[in-house]
Amino acid sequence: MKAVSDEQLIRWVADGDPSCLATLFERHHRDVYHFFLRMLRHKALSEDLVQEVFLKMLKKASSFRGEGSFRGWMFCIARNAALEHIRKNKRRGDEALDDETLAQLSDERSAEQSAAGREKVDLVMQAIATLPAAMQEVIFLGRFEFDSFEELGQALDCNAGTARVRMHRAMSLLSTTFQSIHGVPIDG
Amino acid sequence: MADKKVPELPLEMDDPHERALWSALGEHEAGEPSAELRREFYRNLEAASRPSVLDRLQELLGFRGNAGWLTATACLIVGLGTGAIVASGSGTGDERLAVLEENIALLNRNLILDRLENEAPSKRLRGVIDAASVAGDDAEVAHALLERATQDRVGSVRSAAIDALGPNINAPTVGEQLMPLLQQAQSPIVQLALIDLVLRYGNKTQLDEVLALAKGGKLHPDLERYVITTLEGETA
Repeated sequence: MKAVSDEQLIRWVADGDPSCLATLFERHHRDVYHFFLRMLRHKALSEDLVQEVFLKMLKKASSFRGEGSFRGWMFCIARNAALEHIRKNKRRGDEALDDETLAQLSDERSAEQSAAGREKVDLVMQAIATLPAAMQEVIFLGRFEFDSFEELGQALDCNAGTARVRMHRAMSLLSTTFQSIHGVPIDG
Repeated sequence: MADKKVPELPLEMDDPHERALWSALGEHEAGEPSAELRREFYRNLEAASRPSVLDRLQELLGFRGNAGWLTATACLIVGLGTGAIVASGSGTGDERLAVLEENIALLNRNLILDRLENEAPSKRLRGVIDAASVAGDDAEVAHALLERATQDRVGSVRSAAIDALGPNINAPTVGEQLMPLLQQAQSPIVQLALIDLVLRYGNKTQLDEVLALAKGGKLHPDLERYVITTLEGETA
Protein backbone atom coordinates (compact mmCIF):
# COMPACT_ATOMS: atom_id res chain seq x y z
CA MET A 1 0.00 0.00 0.00
CA LYS A 2 1.35 3.38 -0.96
CA ALA A 3 1.97 5.68 2.00
CA VAL A 4 0.18 8.98 2.06
CA SER A 5 2.57 11.72 1.01
CA ASP A 6 3.83 14.36 3.42
CA GLU A 7 2.24 17.02 1.24
CA GLN A 8 -1.18 15.38 1.47
CA LEU A 9 -0.86 14.97 5.24
CA ILE A 10 -0.06 18.63 5.83
CA ARG A 11 -3.03 19.58 3.63
CA TRP A 12 -5.26 17.45 5.85
CA VAL A 13 -3.81 19.21 8.89
CA ALA A 14 -4.70 22.52 7.24
CA ASP A 15 -8.22 21.20 6.65
CA GLY A 16 -8.67 20.67 10.38
CA ASP A 17 -7.31 17.21 11.12
CA PRO A 18 -4.40 17.77 13.53
CA SER A 19 -3.94 14.01 14.04
CA CYS A 20 -2.14 13.87 10.67
CA LEU A 21 0.63 15.94 12.22
CA ALA A 22 1.49 12.93 14.38
CA THR A 23 2.40 10.95 11.25
CA LEU A 24 4.57 13.79 10.02
CA PHE A 25 6.20 14.00 13.44
CA GLU A 26 7.03 10.31 13.41
CA ARG A 27 8.52 10.58 9.95
CA HIS A 28 10.61 13.69 10.43
CA HIS A 29 11.23 14.68 14.04
CA ARG A 30 14.61 12.90 14.21
CA ASP A 31 15.92 14.81 11.18
CA VAL A 32 14.75 18.12 12.60
CA TYR A 33 16.30 17.25 15.95
CA HIS A 34 19.63 16.35 14.30
CA PHE A 35 19.63 19.64 12.42
CA PHE A 36 19.10 21.61 15.63
CA LEU A 37 21.65 19.55 17.54
CA ARG A 38 24.32 20.15 14.90
CA MET A 39 23.49 23.84 14.70
CA LEU A 40 23.09 24.59 18.38
CA ARG A 41 25.00 21.77 20.07
CA HIS A 42 22.52 21.51 22.91
CA LYS A 43 20.22 18.54 23.41
CA ALA A 44 17.47 20.03 25.59
CA LEU A 45 17.33 23.19 23.54
CA SER A 46 17.14 21.14 20.33
CA GLU A 47 14.20 19.16 21.70
CA ASP A 48 12.42 22.37 22.68
CA LEU A 49 12.89 23.75 19.20
CA VAL A 50 11.57 20.53 17.62
CA GLN A 51 8.37 21.04 19.63
CA GLU A 52 8.23 24.64 18.53
CA VAL A 53 8.65 23.73 14.86
CA PHE A 54 5.89 21.11 14.87
CA LEU A 55 3.46 23.35 16.74
CA LYS A 56 4.28 26.11 14.28
CA MET A 57 3.47 23.72 11.44
CA LEU A 58 0.10 23.03 13.05
CA LYS A 59 -0.69 26.73 13.15
CA LYS A 60 0.76 27.56 9.74
CA ALA A 61 -0.36 24.43 7.87
CA SER A 62 -2.57 26.47 5.57
CA SER A 63 0.47 28.47 4.42
CA PHE A 64 1.85 25.32 2.73
CA ARG A 65 0.70 25.85 -0.84
CA GLY A 66 2.18 22.73 -2.33
CA GLU A 67 4.54 24.62 -4.62
CA GLY A 68 7.55 22.79 -3.19
CA SER A 69 8.18 19.77 -1.01
CA PHE A 70 6.97 19.39 2.54
CA ARG A 71 10.53 18.81 3.76
CA GLY A 72 11.70 22.03 2.14
CA TRP A 73 8.89 23.91 3.86
CA MET A 74 9.51 22.17 7.19
CA PHE A 75 13.25 22.89 7.20
CA CYS A 76 12.57 26.50 6.25
CA ILE A 77 10.57 26.80 9.48
CA ALA A 78 13.30 24.92 11.38
CA ARG A 79 16.19 27.06 10.13
CA ASN A 80 14.26 30.23 10.91
CA ALA A 81 13.74 28.94 14.44
CA ALA A 82 17.44 28.15 14.78
CA LEU A 83 18.55 31.52 13.42
CA GLU A 84 16.06 33.29 15.67
CA HIS A 85 17.49 31.50 18.68
CA ILE A 86 21.06 32.31 17.69
CA ARG A 87 20.12 35.96 17.14
CA LYS A 88 18.56 36.20 20.59
CA ASN A 89 21.55 34.53 22.20
CA LYS A 90 23.97 36.88 20.48
CA ARG A 91 22.01 39.77 21.90
CA ARG A 92 22.41 38.27 25.33
CA GLY A 93 26.11 37.72 24.62
CA ASP A 94 26.21 34.06 25.55
CA GLU A 95 26.87 32.61 22.15
CA ALA A 96 29.88 30.41 22.60
CA LEU A 97 31.17 27.07 21.59
CA ASP A 98 33.15 25.38 24.33
CA ASP A 99 34.82 22.03 24.83
CA GLU A 100 31.91 20.72 26.81
CA THR A 101 29.43 21.07 23.96
CA LEU A 102 31.89 19.53 21.56
CA ALA A 103 32.40 16.63 23.94
CA GLN A 104 28.63 16.28 24.15
CA LEU A 105 28.47 16.01 20.39
CA SER A 106 31.21 13.43 20.35
CA ASP A 107 29.33 11.33 22.88
CA GLU A 108 26.43 11.08 20.50
CA ARG A 109 28.36 9.14 17.91
CA SER A 110 28.19 5.40 17.54
CA ALA A 111 30.75 3.22 19.20
CA GLU A 112 31.64 1.57 15.90
CA GLN A 113 33.25 4.66 14.52
CA SER A 114 36.97 4.31 14.25
CA ALA A 115 39.21 6.45 16.40
CA ALA A 116 40.69 8.05 13.32
CA GLY A 117 37.29 8.69 11.81
CA ARG A 118 35.98 10.12 15.05
CA GLU A 119 38.91 12.42 15.30
CA LYS A 120 38.42 13.65 11.77
CA VAL A 121 34.72 14.31 12.26
CA ASP A 122 35.45 16.13 15.50
CA LEU A 123 37.90 18.36 13.74
CA VAL A 124 35.45 19.12 10.96
CA MET A 125 32.68 19.89 13.44
CA GLN A 126 35.00 22.19 15.36
CA ALA A 127 35.77 24.09 12.18
CA ILE A 128 32.11 24.33 11.19
CA ALA A 129 31.21 25.64 14.63
CA THR A 130 33.34 28.72 14.00
CA LEU A 131 31.55 29.58 10.76
CA PRO A 132 28.68 32.09 10.64
CA ALA A 133 25.29 30.50 11.27
CA ALA A 134 24.19 31.19 7.69
CA MET A 135 27.10 29.04 6.45
CA GLN A 136 26.53 26.29 8.98
CA GLU A 137 22.90 25.86 8.01
CA VAL A 138 23.81 25.50 4.33
CA ILE A 139 26.38 22.82 5.12
CA PHE A 140 24.18 20.82 7.50
CA LEU A 141 21.06 20.98 5.39
CA GLY A 142 22.95 20.26 2.18
CA ARG A 143 25.01 17.43 3.61
CA PHE A 144 22.35 15.59 5.61
CA GLU A 145 18.84 16.52 4.54
CA PHE A 146 18.43 17.10 0.82
CA ASP A 147 19.40 15.46 -2.43
CA SER A 148 18.45 18.35 -4.73
CA PHE A 149 19.31 22.01 -4.85
CA GLU A 150 15.66 22.81 -5.55
CA GLU A 151 14.62 21.49 -2.16
CA LEU A 152 17.66 22.98 -0.44
CA GLY A 153 16.76 26.32 -2.01
CA GLN A 154 13.21 26.02 -0.70
CA ALA A 155 14.52 25.44 2.82
CA LEU A 156 16.95 28.34 2.50
CA ASP A 157 14.25 30.53 0.98
CA CYS A 158 16.13 31.07 -2.27
CA ASN A 159 16.27 29.47 -5.71
CA ALA A 160 18.29 26.37 -6.64
CA GLY A 161 21.08 28.36 -8.31
CA THR A 162 21.59 30.56 -5.27
CA ALA A 163 21.56 27.49 -3.02
CA ARG A 164 24.32 25.93 -5.16
CA VAL A 165 26.43 29.08 -4.97
CA ARG A 166 25.93 29.34 -1.21
CA MET A 167 26.94 25.72 -0.77
CA HIS A 168 30.17 26.19 -2.74
CA ARG A 169 31.03 29.31 -0.76
CA ALA A 170 30.35 27.58 2.53
CA MET A 171 32.54 24.59 1.64
CA SER A 172 35.30 26.87 0.44
CA LEU A 173 35.18 28.84 3.68
CA LEU A 174 35.11 25.61 5.69
CA SER A 175 38.25 24.39 3.92
CA THR A 176 40.09 27.62 4.65
CA THR A 177 38.87 27.71 8.24
CA PHE A 178 39.83 24.10 8.88
CA GLN A 179 43.36 24.76 7.72
CA SER A 180 43.70 27.95 9.75
CA ILE A 181 42.38 26.31 12.93
CA HIS A 182 44.22 23.00 12.73
CA GLY A 183 47.29 24.14 10.83
CA VAL A 184 46.94 21.56 8.04
CA PRO A 185 44.33 20.60 5.49
CA ILE A 186 42.00 17.76 6.43
CA ASP A 187 43.92 15.25 4.37
CA GLY A 188 47.28 16.83 5.00
CA MET B 1 16.47 2.01 14.89
CA ALA B 2 17.84 1.41 11.41
CA ASP B 3 20.28 3.97 10.14
CA LYS B 4 18.71 6.43 7.81
CA LYS B 5 20.37 6.74 4.42
CA VAL B 6 21.99 10.16 4.12
CA PRO B 7 20.78 11.88 0.94
CA GLU B 8 23.47 12.87 -1.52
CA LEU B 9 23.39 16.33 -2.97
CA PRO B 10 24.77 16.36 -6.55
CA LEU B 11 27.65 18.61 -5.58
CA GLU B 12 30.67 18.80 -7.88
CA MET B 13 33.82 19.87 -6.06
CA ASP B 14 37.18 20.40 -7.76
CA ASP B 15 39.07 21.03 -4.53
CA PRO B 16 40.26 17.73 -2.96
CA HIS B 17 40.26 19.29 0.52
CA GLU B 18 36.61 20.22 0.15
CA ARG B 19 35.81 16.71 -1.07
CA ALA B 20 37.57 15.27 1.96
CA LEU B 21 35.70 17.60 4.30
CA TRP B 22 32.42 16.65 2.66
CA SER B 23 33.21 12.98 3.00
CA ALA B 24 34.36 13.26 6.62
CA LEU B 25 31.28 15.26 7.57
CA GLY B 26 29.09 12.48 6.19
CA GLU B 27 30.41 10.26 8.96
CA HIS B 28 28.90 12.44 11.63
CA GLU B 29 26.15 10.83 13.60
CA ALA B 30 24.01 12.92 15.86
CA GLY B 31 22.39 11.32 18.87
CA GLU B 32 18.80 10.21 19.22
CA PRO B 33 16.24 12.47 20.88
CA SER B 34 14.89 11.44 24.28
CA ALA B 35 11.59 9.61 24.75
CA GLU B 36 10.32 12.74 26.49
CA LEU B 37 10.35 14.60 23.18
CA ARG B 38 7.71 12.28 21.76
CA ARG B 39 5.59 12.37 24.95
CA GLU B 40 5.76 16.14 25.10
CA PHE B 41 4.80 16.41 21.44
CA TYR B 42 1.66 14.30 21.92
CA ARG B 43 0.72 16.30 25.01
CA ASN B 44 1.08 19.52 23.02
CA LEU B 45 -0.82 18.08 20.07
CA GLU B 46 -3.69 17.01 22.29
CA ALA B 47 -3.83 20.42 23.95
CA ALA B 48 -3.79 22.15 20.57
CA SER B 49 -6.51 19.85 19.20
CA ARG B 50 -8.81 20.37 22.17
CA PRO B 51 -11.74 22.69 21.34
CA SER B 52 -11.32 26.16 22.74
CA VAL B 53 -13.68 27.67 25.33
CA LEU B 54 -15.40 29.57 22.51
CA ASP B 55 -15.90 26.37 20.51
CA ARG B 56 -17.37 24.61 23.53
CA LEU B 57 -19.66 27.56 24.25
CA GLN B 58 -20.88 27.53 20.66
CA GLU B 59 -21.54 23.80 20.90
CA LEU B 60 -23.36 24.19 24.23
CA LEU B 61 -25.60 27.06 23.17
CA GLY B 62 -26.13 25.84 19.63
CA PHE B 63 -24.64 29.02 18.17
CA ARG B 64 -23.53 27.25 15.01
CA GLY B 65 -23.92 28.69 11.54
CA ASN B 66 -25.54 31.96 10.52
CA ALA B 67 -28.84 31.34 12.34
CA GLY B 68 -26.97 30.58 15.55
CA TRP B 69 -24.95 33.75 15.35
CA LEU B 70 -28.04 35.83 14.55
CA THR B 71 -29.73 34.41 17.65
CA ALA B 72 -26.65 35.15 19.72
CA THR B 73 -26.46 38.70 18.38
CA ALA B 74 -30.16 39.32 19.07
CA CYS B 75 -29.77 38.00 22.63
CA LEU B 76 -26.74 40.20 23.12
CA ILE B 77 -28.55 43.32 21.90
CA VAL B 78 -31.60 42.65 24.10
CA GLY B 79 -29.31 41.91 27.04
CA LEU B 80 -27.26 45.04 26.55
CA GLY B 81 -30.40 47.14 26.10
CA THR B 82 -31.96 45.79 29.26
CA GLY B 83 -28.67 46.16 31.10
CA ALA B 84 -28.31 49.74 29.94
CA ILE B 85 -31.81 50.60 31.13
CA VAL B 86 -31.25 48.94 34.49
CA ALA B 87 -27.79 50.45 34.93
CA SER B 88 -28.84 53.90 33.77
CA GLY B 89 -28.72 56.43 36.55
CA SER B 90 -31.07 58.89 34.81
CA GLY B 91 -34.32 57.67 36.32
CA THR B 92 -35.64 56.32 39.57
CA GLY B 93 -36.11 52.62 40.21
CA ASP B 94 -39.85 52.84 39.53
CA GLU B 95 -39.30 54.64 36.23
CA ARG B 96 -36.82 52.05 35.06
CA LEU B 97 -39.23 49.30 36.06
CA ALA B 98 -42.01 51.04 34.15
CA VAL B 99 -39.83 51.23 31.05
CA LEU B 100 -39.05 47.56 31.32
CA GLU B 101 -42.73 46.68 31.77
CA GLU B 102 -43.63 48.81 28.78
CA ASN B 103 -41.03 47.05 26.65
CA ILE B 104 -42.26 43.65 27.73
CA ALA B 105 -45.88 44.64 27.02
CA LEU B 106 -44.87 45.87 23.58
CA LEU B 107 -43.10 42.60 22.83
CA ASN B 108 -46.10 40.65 24.10
CA ARG B 109 -48.49 42.69 21.94
CA ASN B 110 -46.40 42.13 18.81
CA LEU B 111 -46.26 38.45 19.58
CA ILE B 112 -50.07 38.28 19.85
CA LEU B 113 -50.59 40.16 16.58
CA ASP B 114 -48.08 37.89 14.84
CA ARG B 115 -49.85 34.81 16.13
CA LEU B 116 -53.26 36.10 15.02
CA GLU B 117 -51.89 36.43 11.49
CA ASN B 118 -50.01 33.13 11.51
CA GLU B 119 -50.57 30.56 8.78
CA ALA B 120 -51.03 27.70 11.21
CA PRO B 121 -54.54 27.47 12.77
CA SER B 122 -53.03 26.25 16.05
CA LYS B 123 -50.90 29.42 16.27
CA ARG B 124 -53.91 31.63 15.46
CA LEU B 125 -55.90 29.83 18.16
CA ARG B 126 -53.09 30.50 20.62
CA GLY B 127 -53.11 34.14 19.51
CA VAL B 128 -56.87 34.36 20.11
CA ILE B 129 -56.46 32.99 23.65
CA ASP B 130 -53.65 35.45 24.41
CA ALA B 131 -55.57 38.37 22.83
CA ALA B 132 -58.59 37.84 25.10
CA SER B 133 -56.83 39.49 28.02
CA VAL B 134 -55.68 42.60 26.13
CA ALA B 135 -58.40 43.23 23.50
CA GLY B 136 -60.36 45.47 25.89
CA ASP B 137 -57.41 47.88 26.15
CA ASP B 138 -55.90 47.67 22.70
CA ALA B 139 -57.85 48.69 19.59
CA GLU B 140 -55.41 47.02 17.18
CA VAL B 141 -55.59 43.68 18.97
CA ALA B 142 -59.40 44.04 19.17
CA HIS B 143 -59.55 44.65 15.42
CA ALA B 144 -57.38 41.63 14.70
CA LEU B 145 -59.56 39.54 16.99
CA LEU B 146 -62.72 40.72 15.23
CA GLU B 147 -61.16 39.71 11.92
CA ARG B 148 -60.53 36.22 13.32
CA ALA B 149 -64.12 36.08 14.55
CA THR B 150 -65.60 37.04 11.19
CA GLN B 151 -63.12 35.89 8.56
CA ASP B 152 -61.07 32.95 9.79
CA ARG B 153 -61.49 29.93 7.55
CA VAL B 154 -61.36 27.56 10.52
CA GLY B 155 -64.55 27.27 12.54
CA SER B 156 -62.87 26.57 15.88
CA VAL B 157 -60.76 29.72 15.55
CA ARG B 158 -63.86 31.82 14.75
CA SER B 159 -65.72 30.36 17.74
CA ALA B 160 -62.75 30.96 20.03
CA ALA B 161 -62.46 34.55 18.80
CA ILE B 162 -66.15 35.24 19.48
CA ASP B 163 -65.74 33.79 22.98
CA ALA B 164 -62.65 35.97 23.47
CA LEU B 165 -64.49 39.11 22.33
CA GLY B 166 -67.51 38.44 24.50
CA PRO B 167 -66.21 39.76 27.85
CA ASN B 168 -64.80 42.80 25.99
CA ILE B 169 -67.86 43.71 23.93
CA ASN B 170 -68.69 46.69 26.09
CA ALA B 171 -65.17 48.03 25.99
CA PRO B 172 -64.84 50.97 23.56
CA THR B 173 -62.02 49.25 21.69
CA VAL B 174 -64.37 46.39 20.69
CA GLY B 175 -67.83 47.99 20.83
CA GLU B 176 -66.93 50.89 18.55
CA GLN B 177 -65.69 48.55 15.83
CA LEU B 178 -68.37 45.89 16.15
CA MET B 179 -71.44 47.64 14.77
CA PRO B 180 -69.74 49.32 11.78
CA LEU B 181 -68.25 45.95 10.92
CA LEU B 182 -71.66 44.31 11.08
CA GLN B 183 -73.12 46.92 8.74
CA GLN B 184 -70.31 46.50 6.25
CA ALA B 185 -70.26 42.71 6.30
CA GLN B 186 -71.70 41.16 3.13
CA SER B 187 -71.16 37.52 4.00
CA PRO B 188 -74.03 35.84 5.90
CA ILE B 189 -71.47 33.78 7.81
CA VAL B 190 -69.70 36.92 9.01
CA GLN B 191 -73.01 38.53 9.88
CA LEU B 192 -74.03 35.42 11.79
CA ALA B 193 -70.77 35.43 13.78
CA LEU B 194 -71.18 39.07 14.78
CA ILE B 195 -74.90 38.79 15.54
CA ASP B 196 -74.23 35.73 17.64
CA LEU B 197 -71.65 37.76 19.54
CA VAL B 198 -74.06 40.65 20.15
CA LEU B 199 -76.94 38.40 21.10
CA ARG B 200 -74.79 36.54 23.63
CA TYR B 201 -72.78 39.38 25.16
CA GLY B 202 -74.21 42.69 23.86
CA ASN B 203 -75.71 45.47 25.98
CA LYS B 204 -79.15 47.01 25.42
CA THR B 205 -77.92 49.66 22.99
CA GLN B 206 -76.13 47.10 20.85
CA LEU B 207 -79.14 44.79 20.83
CA ASP B 208 -81.35 47.69 19.71
CA GLU B 209 -78.93 48.53 16.93
CA VAL B 210 -78.96 44.94 15.68
CA LEU B 211 -82.75 44.87 15.73
CA ALA B 212 -82.84 48.12 13.77
CA LEU B 213 -80.50 46.63 11.16
CA ALA B 214 -82.71 43.57 10.86
CA LYS B 215 -85.88 45.59 10.46
CA GLY B 216 -84.14 47.92 8.00
CA GLY B 217 -83.33 45.03 5.66
CA LYS B 218 -79.57 45.41 6.15
CA LEU B 219 -79.02 41.73 7.03
CA HIS B 220 -79.40 38.42 5.22
CA PRO B 221 -83.17 37.50 5.13
CA ASP B 222 -82.67 34.37 7.24
CA LEU B 223 -80.68 36.35 9.79
CA GLU B 224 -83.30 39.10 9.85
CA ARG B 225 -85.95 36.61 10.83
CA TYR B 226 -83.65 35.02 13.37
CA VAL B 227 -82.81 38.39 15.00
CA ILE B 228 -86.39 39.64 15.04
CA THR B 229 -87.72 36.36 16.40
CA THR B 230 -85.05 36.14 19.05
CA LEU B 231 -85.17 39.72 20.27
CA GLU B 232 -88.91 40.42 19.93
CA GLY B 233 -89.71 36.99 21.32
CA GLU B 234 -87.66 37.82 24.39
CA THR B 235 -89.27 41.19 24.85
CA ALA B 236 -92.80 39.88 24.19
